[in-house]
Amino acid sequence: MVIHFTCNGKPVTVDVDGDMRVLDVLRDVLDLTGTKEGCGEGECGACTIILNGKTVNSCLLYAGKLQGAVVETIEGLSGDSAGLHPIQESFLEEGAVQCGFCTPGMVLSTKALLDRHPDPSIKEIETALSGNFCRCTGYGKIMKAVVSSAEKLRDSREDGHQSGTGLGVKRG
Amino acid sequence: MAEHTIIGKSVRKVDGIELVTGKAKFTADMKFPGMLYGYELRAGVPAGIIESIDASEALKEPGVHMVLTAKDLLGPNLIGVLPPFDQPVLPDREIRYAGESIALVVADTREGAKRACRNIKAVITPIEPILTMEQALAEDARKIHPQGNVTFSRTLTKGNVEQGFAEADVVIEGSYTTTFQDHCYIEPEIACAVPSGDNRITLYVSCQSPFHIRGHVAANLNVPASKVKVVQAYTGGSFGGKDDAAVEIGILAGTAALKLGRPVTIAHEREESIAGTNVRHAAEIAYKTGARKDGTITARQVKVLLDGGAYASESPFVTMKAMIHASGPYAIDHIEVESTSVYTNKTYAGAFRGFGVPQVTFASESEIDELAKHLGIDPLELRRKNGLKAGDKTATSQVYDQSVGYLQTLDAVEPSLRETGTKENDGRYLYGTGIASVIQGISNGAEGVDVVGASVQMSQDASVLVGCGLAEMGQGSRTVFSQIAAEVLGIPVDWVTVRQVDTDAVHDSGPTVASRSTTVGGMAVKQAAETVRQSLVKMASLMFKTDESMIVLKEGFAVLTVDDTARIPLRDVATAAYWTGFPLMHLAFSQAEPADFDHDTHQGRVYIAYNFGTHLMHVKVDRYTGEVEVLKHVASHDVGKVVNPMAASGQVEGASLIGFALGHMEKVEYKDGIIQNPTFADYAFPSIRDRIPTETIFVEDPTPHGPYGAKGIGEPPVAAAAAAFANAVSQAVGHRFTHIPITREDIAAVLQEEV
Amino acid sequence: MEYVQPDTLEAAVSRLGRGGCTILSGGTDLAVVNRASGLKPECFVDICRISQFSGMELGEEGLHIGPCTTIAELAASAEIPHCLSQGASAIGSPQIRNAATVGGNICNASPCGDTLSPMVALSASFVLVSPRGSRAVDAETFFLGPKKTVLADDELLTDIIIGREFLKGTSAFKMLGKRKGQVISQVNAAVWLLLEDGVVAKVQAAFGSVAPVPLRARQTEAFLTGKELDAGTIHESLAYVKQDIRPISDIRASEAYRYRLAESIFHDVLKQAAGLACC
Ligand SMILES: Cc1cc2nc3c(=O)[nH]c(=O)nc-3n(C[C@H](O)[C@H](O)[C@H](O)COP(=O)(O)OP(=O)(O)OC[C@H]3O[C@@H](n4cnc5c(N)ncnc54)[C@H](O)[C@@H]3O)c2cc1C
Ligand code: FES
Ligand code: FES
Repeated sequence: MVIHFTCNGKPVTVDVDGDMRVLDVLRDVLDLTGTKEGCGEGECGACTIILNGKTVNSCLLYAGKLQGAVVETIEGLSGDSAGLHPIQESFLEEGAVQCGFCTPGMVLSTKALLDRHPDPSIKEIETALSGNFCRCTGYGKIMKAVVSSAEKLRDSREDGHQSGTGLGVKRG
Repeated sequence: MAEHTIIGKSVRKVDGIELVTGKAKFTADMKFPGMLYGYELRAGVPAGIIESIDASEALKEPGVHMVLTAKDLLGPNLIGVLPPFDQPVLPDREIRYAGESIALVVADTREGAKRACRNIKAVITPIEPILTMEQALAEDARKIHPQGNVTFSRTLTKGNVEQGFAEADVVIEGSYTTTFQDHCYIEPEIACAVPSGDNRITLYVSCQSPFHIRGHVAANLNVPASKVKVVQAYTGGSFGGKDDAAVEIGILAGTAALKLGRPVTIAHEREESIAGTNVRHAAEIAYKTGARKDGTITARQVKVLLDGGAYASESPFVTMKAMIHASGPYAIDHIEVESTSVYTNKTYAGAFRGFGVPQVTFASESEIDELAKHLGIDPLELRRKNGLKAGDKTATSQVYDQSVGYLQTLDAVEPSLRETGTKENDGRYLYGTGIASVIQGISNGAEGVDVVGASVQMSQDASVLVGCGLAEMGQGSRTVFSQIAAEVLGIPVDWVTVRQVDTDAVHDSGPTVASRSTTVGGMAVKQAAETVRQSLVKMASLMFKTDESMIVLKEGFAVLTVDDTARIPLRDVATAAYWTGFPLMHLAFSQAEPADFDHDTHQGRVYIAYNFGTHLMHVKVDRYTGEVEVLKHVASHDVGKVVNPMAASGQVEGASLIGFALGHMEKVEYKDGIIQNPTFADYAFPSIRDRIPTETIFVEDPTPHGPYGAKGIGEPPVAAAAAAFANAVSQAVGHRFTHIPITREDIAAVLQEEV
Repeated sequence: MEYVQPDTLEAAVSRLGRGGCTILSGGTDLAVVNRASGLKPECFVDICRISQFSGMELGEEGLHIGPCTTIAELAASAEIPHCLSQGASAIGSPQIRNAATVGGNICNASPCGDTLSPMVALSASFVLVSPRGSRAVDAETFFLGPKKTVLADDELLTDIIIGREFLKGTSAFKMLGKRKGQVISQVNAAVWLLLEDGVVAKVQAAFGSVAPVPLRARQTEAFLTGKELDAGTIHESLAYVKQDIRPISDIRASEAYRYRLAESIFHDVLKQAAGLACC
């Protein structure tokens, strides 16, 4: 079937079986290999993408569901320039990346969280990342990276005269 | 010692940008024209005889190109770690575990290959499987391999345990067991073989020991090693698990690629990764410990049985390592450890972060706590009394006159112990605190020679390319190597690139194991960089027209020691050196001091250094459900010198969670020889909500054998975390748990009577 | 393969009537099943574009929940009884909850489905439509066994109704699994409670993962009805929980542990629903 959708801000058209996995549409058809496969059954989150503003496992999503949708992948985050997104910066600064296989998914789950909750509690961060498994880091530095990403993004919003709570991270 | 500018700093991961942007190419991200996909058919029975394999139906399916079975292989069809190898790539007759591959289908797509597997008719006559070590060791047991069911057995003897027990006032005994744990790297095993037209095969592979793979692939393709090029792609974790599996699928992909003249990728699914490839050994361990009333341990006698599953893999080395470490970080005069690995009809066990040490450490440290209870001595004081110090004799009677920082790791956790030890139980919740110590040898030691080759090459613009045969798998060796080269050459870290391991271009450096990257690998990089530095200093001295001793390299300049403003950019120095003919590249070899010990008693020099550590865990247990919350976790390790605090604490945190999971959650569960939980849905892999609040405290007691005094840190926290968890929960519940994992269910079962 | 996305219920029913269809909602269960079987369905009927299938609306009979309402929407909803939003929150990960639907959770009929015990505790009614017409089935009779329901192959779940009575009162849900994040229930329980002056006027409770289908805890309910709900009563009720469930041992938990969890979880949900300080 012919499917039109928006991928990383650009209109895309693909002609694939409706039951193709979106993971394969991205990796094999569009050559966006930053989205990873770790289990193929919705458990590990390595294949996380943002679909219409919400994270989903692209390994469980059928291509037909993309019709008219807006998709963000890791490739869309830093754009074409070498500049990193503040979340990516924080992941590097805090040492939240070891093998890096879980990282694209972690970064996208973080982005989807911070887009909605600029000032998340520790609990909200845990919940938002509970579908992204990491075997290398033990997660502590990932938590720190999310907290510092939130701070960075709030600061940049304030600089842009937008409202931010500026309260820092709530504990709880 | 001079102040370091880069060593000791939390330098960012040098290959981090490509990882956070998703640009790094892992093996699955590489596409080649005409690429085909392989999928393995697995036995499905734990023991049996293959009568026939009929692939004719599968071959008729559209898109299927080939089905490989044992008879189609090109070489000896044998792999393993130590000769005589015992593992076939595909068995031609006998099946030894249920997850064993018996055929490979190659098709246009992975799904197509997987579907076609269903249409292969394999006629297998099942044999009664041997599923426990007890069955395997029974006198009349069927032999899983011609030589019998004992894979490897050794005994360590120090002093005379009989005499030691005679000197003791108390003797306690305990039996402990552990289960199989899977590596669970998020990227499953994968290999891609590309025939390159010049009669060579290039293998892109997620792995940790590229040269080991090259050797096995070449032998099994029946070509010289020089015809095989192994390129380690970005590797999504390994932890010991991507040696055997990478060899197996590397050979299969290579064989198919050679035969078909097309690139072939084999990518395991999660189920295959768990059920088909190696795991951590399960163990049955018996301890007998004797001590005087004052707490002095006079003797330890240990019997270790390791369930190695169907094939030897790393079992011999794991057996040795468990043996050498079984008595713990204590100075004990009389020690006897018998360590044996056994064949059973289960998925083979091999290398996994910790390498036999977690199993014995859990048992040993549980027993030390029991001894403390028996003697009425504080558990920390008991450890302090017996702990190894510089000048003491280890279990192999090796003496280190420096870098034995064990007692300092006890000091480091002591305040937390005193603070948490008094927490009262309340109604529904029980509280407990446990400590556990670990000793873990650094370098290959008793497991073989330990040589690393590293090259450092400076360009005329003063940027540097480092090559080393040790693999980056996320543990940060590229960053450490960059730091070392930058420190020596006085340049910013980002002028250094550490190249991908490509067996065409770097020197065979042995396996990336035994926490040896930083120590032995770092030493080679340092030596190579120092030689390049000599050329630069010599050139600069000519340019400054002064003595070489007057020159330092820093911040990308050659600078006069007497006048910090007298600077020549290093790129000018490098360019001049190039045109003058001074060498700007050097290949250095670093060899760890070889082991030298008696092969009967295992007394002598084994490792170049030990990492020592003590962990503390403070837990809260729900007496209704057995749920455990870790309220505090302090991890203290003597790492010699911290090269990169952020990377090192990252290693401690990651390894600790694996240890915690080993202690509390994870087990590969068998029923009739078939793994019941080969998915993340049922294998209890810890999520972010299961993480533990690790605080790391480093002790720095430098070793002369590592760069700047550094010792590796990749493995030891696994053992200490698992053991500290067991001690903490046992204390909270008031019951000695002798089996890990100690699951919620196990805890609830003990507390059953009480609520 | 054919992939259709009908806009209306009529169009969906008519395509289903022609046979060979697999109903696709969020796809989180189907994708796993299809991957394991390696089979390619003939035709997917993706029902998520039927507008009335999404969202919640208060009607005369009670609250209508469209089958394609996502689990994330349920989890975030303050309009539905608390036990149902808690059950939804317990499902999988954010990624799963964003894609998965309540209709899929029900029709998948896994014994550990986390909205099932709330549905049973709330006596939800399911409207089923096929080319042969429409019928309403009570949640308790809908489930026949693991992955088995009264649904015919060409029959759609089109509406979920929580009766007005159950929009009053209080309710709670809890589950426990092998790890803390993203985990399948070893046991789950939901309770709905109507208290009058501290006395139980009416109570309905249900358990998941303790039998092939979600179970109503009738003996426990009978014991509690008319009693003053204090710590003592709650404790005594646990003896009845044991009689109401019939767990087995499997890969996820042993029978003995399930009994224990059921008691502990029921203790917690009952206290929570009653607004008593809890753990
Ligand atoms: C990683 C992971 C974790 C999970 N964790 C949990 C968990 O913790 N708790 C839990 O309960 N579940 C869990 N699930 C299961 C699953 O996500 C839920 O059951 C989900 O609600 C299913 O909804 P869906 O829309 O994705 O269903 P689908 O996959 O679209 O459908 C499921 C089944 O129902 C049928 N169906 C769907 N809608 C209708 C309809 N309206 N009428 C008739 N038939 C229909 C389909 O044909 C299919 O057979 C998990 C799944 C995964 C992959
Ligand atoms: S690959 Fe999709 S969740 Fe693991
Ligand atoms: S960094 Fe390796 S899995 Fe997360």
